[in-house]
Amino acid sequence: MVNPLARRVRGLSDRAIAWLFISPTIVLLLAINIFPLIWTIQLSFTNYRANRPNAEVENVGFRNYERLLTDEDVWIAMQTTAEFVFWTILLQTVIGFVLAWLIDRKFRGHAFWTTVILIPMMLSPAVVGNFWRFLYQPQIGLFNYIVSFFTGIEPSSFEMLGSVTLAPWAIVIVDTWMWTPYVMLICLAGLRSIPDYIYEAAEVDRASPWRQFWSITVPMCLPFIMLAVLFRGIENFKMFDMVNLLTGGGPGSITEVASITLKREAFESWRTGPSSAFAIVLFVAVFGLANIYVKALNRVKQR
Amino acid sequence: MADVSLSAISKSFGATQAVRGMDLSIADGEFVVLLGPTGAGKTTTLRLIAGLEKPDSGRIAINGEDVTTLDPASRDVAFVFQQYSLYPHLSVYDNLAFPLKSPARRLTPNEIDARVREVAKLVRIDHKLQNRSTKLSGGEMQRVAIGRALVRQPSIYLMDEPLSSLDAKLRADLRLELKRIQNDIGATMLYVTHDQIEAMTMADRIGILAEGRLVQVGTPREIYETPVDIHVANRLGQPRINILPPGLLPCPSIPAGTAQIGARTEHLAISVPANGETANARIDWIEHLGDHNYLHLVCGDRKLVSLVEPSLGLNSGMAVRVELADPLFFAADGARIATNATGSTGRNA
Repeated sequence: MVNPLARRVRGLSDRAIAWLFISPTIVLLLAINIFPLIWTIQLSFTNYRANRPNAEVENVGFRNYERLLTDEDVWIAMQTTAEFVFWTILLQTVIGFVLAWLIDRKFRGHAFWTTVILIPMMLSPAVVGNFWRFLYQPQIGLFNYIVSFFTGIEPSSFEMLGSVTLAPWAIVIVDTWMWTPYVMLICLAGLRSIPDYIYEAAEVDRASPWRQFWSITVPMCLPFIMLAVLFRGIENFKMFDMVNLLTGGGPGSITEVASITLKREAFESWRTGPSSAFAIVLFVAVFGLANIYVKALNRVKQR
Repeated sequence: MADVSLSAISKSFGATQAVRGMDLSIADGEFVVLLGPTGAGKTTTLRLIAGLEKPDSGRIAINGEDVTTLDPASRDVAFVFQQYSLYPHLSVYDNLAFPLKSPARRLTPNEIDARVREVAKLVRIDHKLQNRSTKLSGGEMQRVAIGRALVRQPSIYLMDEPLSSLDAKLRADLRLELKRIQNDIGATMLYVTHDQIEAMTMADRIGILAEGRLVQVGTPREIYETPVDIHVANRLGQPRINILPPGLLPCPSIPAGTAQIGARTEHLAISVPANGETANARIDWIEHLGDHNYLHLVCGDRKLVSLVEPSLGLNSGMAVRVELADPLFFAADGARIATNATGSTGRNA
């Protein structure tokens, strides 16, 4: 009775069976994650160009990194990314939490509204990008029409995606529209995890609804909110598809987030070596920030 | 502190009638225990007084003021829940300080600090003030929960089986502790339990609940000695009261209308038959509990349980003579028939 399963599988040990089961995953992981990562690291020290596979490859040491970190365009792209991440997360967290809080009031039909709110999240970013391009159309777009309806501004007098001041906000609006439901869902799980008797105890302890919200609801929900921020932060740091579809980084380079710069560098200028270095820098930045953040998250959970 | 009175309170949840026309008044500084089985409406009664539920009908008054429609915050009651309802994200200190930080109180931080430390000492948790409330043992959590009620000076303390989830030793300790604290501060307290020992030892008065109805209210002694009916008699006494048909055992006088006789240990005179006496029971077996023994007797087709002192020298299998001495008599509907020996307070206790 020591290894009942192993005995049935032709004398294999439990350990061998364990390896057998996880090997497909490991192979896949090595092939599509680890190997490309190592190769990218290697390429980042060369002047390799993917469109000239036969050209001689020179090892350039840290020159790619040096150039990258002193390149003003790269820093501007990083700043654009940071601003994009900041505003989307701020809006999504605030709106998502408020929506979750409202849904948690369990008003009539709250299940129906939950489903309706979740729809944007279930769409593909490519679909969302295309469909907002139509909504943002100055002549026929619904967005411009609604804005004009409420403010009286002529709908064709502004172009969300074409204007230097409006384009970044156009992207923030789309991302918020699409991903607020996701944050709401996580916050809702947090709100539902707070048992009723805690609120009853607080009520008997004469805590006002305002105080209950700030001293019970928010702190007990905080680990969930932080988790949502982490997920959204990582996602939006590498945001590519939606921006690419909506503005492609334009007008000019005003919405050029890091991933767009990277794509231009790698697949338009074909400077594979330097763009690999850029990819590594981005990876280290996200990885480092996420790690610091997870430490903070764990501290909050430990409280 | 204050007095509390319930008049004709009813509450139902859907088809279930949890509390039916309850009248109860609790005097200032009194310790009242509600005793009853699960589902008798004990917790609902507490929640109604706290304002966590609103009664379907009836009136609740605290200190003479009608609070029936007020929300919990404006009633100024303290509630200890059965599950330790501590604020899990706060330390022990902050849990205790939470009720004091209500803006309705206007206490300075120094006053709060002094009060928290005083109460922490009272419930013996002062060495763990900085601990997270989730990192405590069950007993410690419940002491914090009790402490959180005690930091305030509410009109009434409501306690919902606060000791039921603790182990036996801790329960005995905290039972004494609670009674001592209640004595010290002169608190008005309504305490709910299904444990008759808690009820007997702590209560000034006990209220027996059955199916949402308050069957009898009285001092522990009244309830024990002059229960209004078989149901109440069954709730108190260890071992449980023996219910016998009249005529099974010899009894000096049986009042008219007696359908059943209730006999506790003190109502049974057990002796080894002397000359000329006949044995009417046999000792089935003896449970040794150390300081006393449970005697299981067989008498005709009935089984009886009684307490005996180990020094009596009885052995299982022995034939003994059992006589009734001033037992409780019950009519066919279960109501107790009053006799002179047990007083005439039966129905209107």
